[in-house]
Amino acid sequence: MAVTSANPLRAGLRLARVPEPSVMVIFGGTGDLSTRKLVPALYDLARQRLLPAAFAIVGIGRAALTDSEYRAQLREAVAENSRSRPIDEEVWASFAERLLYVSVRSEEGYDDLRRRLARIDTDLGTGGDRLFYLATPPVAYAPIVRSLGRSEVVRSGTGWARIVVEKPFGRDLETARALTETLHEVFKEEEIFRIDHYLGKETVQNILVLRFANAIFEPVWSRQYVDHVQITVAEALGADERAEYYEGAGAMRDIVQNHLLQILTLVAMEPPAAFEAGAVRDEKVKVLRAMRPIRPDETAERTVRGQYTAGFIEGDPVPGYREGREVAPESRTETFVALKLFVDNWRWEGTPFYLRTGKRMPKRATEVAIQFRAVPHQVFSAEARDGLEPNTLVIRVQPEEGISLKFGAKVPVQGIRIRSVAMDFVYGASFLVDAPDAYETLILDALRGDGTLFTRKDEVEEQWRLVDPVLRAWQESDAEPPAYPAGTWGPTEADLFIGRDGRRWRQP
Amino acid sequence: MIDTGVWGDPSPSVSALERDLARVRRGRSAHAREQVATVARAAVVNIVVVARREIHALRASRTIEELAMRHPSRAIVVLGDAHPDERASSAVSLYGRVPEVDQFDQVHFEQILVRARGPADRRLLSVVVPLLVPDLPLFLWWTETPPIGTRHFEDLVALASRLVVDSADFARPERTIPALASVCFVGAQHCALTDLNWTRLTAWRELLTQFFDVPAWRALLRSVDGMRVSFAVDADGREIQPSQALLLIGWIAARLGWRPAERMAPSEAGGLLFGMIRPDGQRVRVRVRPRFDRGLEEGDVSGVRIEAFAGGTRTEFRITRLDERRYASGTVRVDGKIVSERVVPLPATDVVELLGEELTILASDRMYEEALAVLVALA
Repeated sequence: MAVTSANPLRAGLRLARVPEPSVMVIFGGTGDLSTRKLVPALYDLARQRLLPAAFAIVGIGRAALTDSEYRAQLREAVAENSRSRPIDEEVWASFAERLLYVSVRSEEGYDDLRRRLARIDTDLGTGGDRLFYLATPPVAYAPIVRSLGRSEVVRSGTGWARIVVEKPFGRDLETARALTETLHEVFKEEEIFRIDHYLGKETVQNILVLRFANAIFEPVWSRQYVDHVQITVAEALGADERAEYYEGAGAMRDIVQNHLLQILTLVAMEPPAAFEAGAVRDEKVKVLRAMRPIRPDETAERTVRGQYTAGFIEGDPVPGYREGREVAPESRTETFVALKLFVDNWRWEGTPFYLRTGKRMPKRATEVAIQFRAVPHQVFSAEARDGLEPNTLVIRVQPEEGISLKFGAKVPVQGIRIRSVAMDFVYGASFLVDAPDAYETLILDALRGDGTLFTRKDEVEEQWRLVDPVLRAWQESDAEPPAYPAGTWGPTEADLFIGRDGRRWRQP
Repeated sequence: MIDTGVWGDPSPSVSALERDLARVRRGRSAHAREQVATVARAAVVNIVVVARREIHALRASRTIEELAMRHPSRAIVVLGDAHPDERASSAVSLYGRVPEVDQFDQVHFEQILVRARGPADRRLLSVVVPLLVPDLPLFLWWTETPPIGTRHFEDLVALASRLVVDSADFARPERTIPALASVCFVGAQHCALTDLNWTRLTAWRELLTQFFDVPAWRALLRSVDGMRVSFAVDADGREIQPSQALLLIGWIAARLGWRPAERMAPSEAGGLLFGMIRPDGQRVRVRVRPRFDRGLEEGDVSGVRIEAFAGGTRTEFRITRLDERRYASGTVRVDGKIVSERVVPLPATDVVELLGEELTILASDRMYEEALAVLVALA
């Protein structure tokens, strides 16, 4: 039957974000990401009635499983990882009916997949619209994409095809480029959705709203008023469970190249003409292009790395990184990175951006702190402003999403005594307590074809271009990464590093 | 008698009341500081509730308190006499309290009761205005049929950015709602109109819409020849409130361009039966059917069936509430055979959720106005 125009009932509906009828095909359907994040997020979407009426999920794995065995596996996983517990049996039963499994071990497996998808299209009316999701280890990405291309699974009739690629996207500029080229053999750039789940977080998107929907912040958002910016992604967890991957990656590849640089670009970018994929990503790429490269001879001055040793987290003793299984006893993998970056453009010339991330820090915290300059002339005596700290705008991403502004206020006594107070906006207190999970947001966006919150080819390449020389310099150096005990804010070198500029790290 | 345990202590004046509330806030802040927490007096909206019966005032007050974490507000509950005696002397008294809504004591929410006795029509505004928190929008929630034409109603609407009513409580919703709309839209101060009874339909509309996201089914929207909406009545079939069901039909009709073929005619036991005309001139049979459903509020929609006939095939789209009021099943049948079936959560909406949703939106709803226009034409 001919495709008619837009659904006339959709006009003016408040839940306008429901995607079109489609099928989502997950490679690595039995893997850790699928069971911990993807399928629970999809179930939560179903619970909120945000999935289309005609929708199916096809999990792909190597194991020989029946649909019902697969469902039973995932039921456990959803019960454990869904945002809403306990699992709602009725919703689950209806959701599970559309949850299918195809075992793919060889090229013939792709023929099975093609037949299965064709049958779903006829039975449900999904019209050949397909979202592929690569949730496998990265080594499998290229072979899967090539097989998809060869077996003609991707396109069917007038339906659309898209592919979501998980991080890490390459391990340096060269491999990232090669992966993009492989993807381009089958998919067009606008059909490729490189996921960075940080961009799905409400507060990260809120950086854009704060900056571009309010008139009062933008005028002070520049080198004239900002002294420096600190961006922190601290984890209390160690590398334990992902040690095998982590040992070959390190904090730079795991966090800095993607999450930290993404947050930095959102903080530093110029206003886009519109909140849509092309305009937003164009502006982000401009920031990355304007970043001052870290030359090999500057590595010592602009970077610090570290590796945790045994220590305590919340009172419990935890082993050091090198004591972990699957970690080489003389491993030099960094578990802590601090960087000093500059965005060489009109707005930010000379304003340092301090980035830091680490595992086994005292707590899990992600925040952006914009520290403003002091007033040009001090009106009040040094004694009166003893308790006064510089104005700071803090955007907290986790654990408790919110924004706070620190400013000086008079203590209510006779005479002038000034103290810093914080004006706190707790996200959960002003809006729905229940913010959507990042994966829910991003899966919906990909199903709807909105690439605004995904990373484009040129963005990824610019990120690697910045990170590669540092990794190379560390590799070529004979020095070991400085040690820091688990449960501290990184090696002393990190404090000296920022202290040389007359500044100090915040305690998030 | 006012229960001070519920409404707080009386205050002789607005300034005394503000002083008392500020004192409570300071006390809470001091307590919070000991716990190393920061306290915010976070108010994002002024809510004025008008009630004539204490039971309505209490229910509204509880609803707003439950919403306080999500929509911290200053709530002003105006409780007037149900039957003001014109000769009686009139008096206005104030009661204020700061309920604890948050175990961490981070959000303050304040509630003020304005108790008006006797004829207070002209003086009410002078009490409410000084109590409003500046620079915040005002939601006016009227708990019964608003007295269009009275001074205090029109004074308050002129201040409000949104008027919240529930047409389920109206005796003649198809007359009262258009009259309200015309009051709201006078003057430069545009006040959006919210009908909680329309908000109850949001999930139903979403589910119906999802059927027709499938292109093959969307094509059938042009060939719909029958629609049936069931709504809940009490066991005796006495409380018959078809307004919610009619709003749903009005919405579909407005979206698909149907026009009334005739006026509504009563059918079995409080139901309605009438015809509408599709844009291609064909007739659509419309039935509104009252049904007893345990656990549903009277007037709530309990099922929808849309039938289409095209190419010699009859396709039926059906959403039915399942037991326990928490789910609905959506099915598509082609010539009687089920081709698609799913169960989705559809919890019965209580007033807390309805109002909570409305508080996130400030604009008026064009779809509602269009649906209403169809009802006016049918009445």
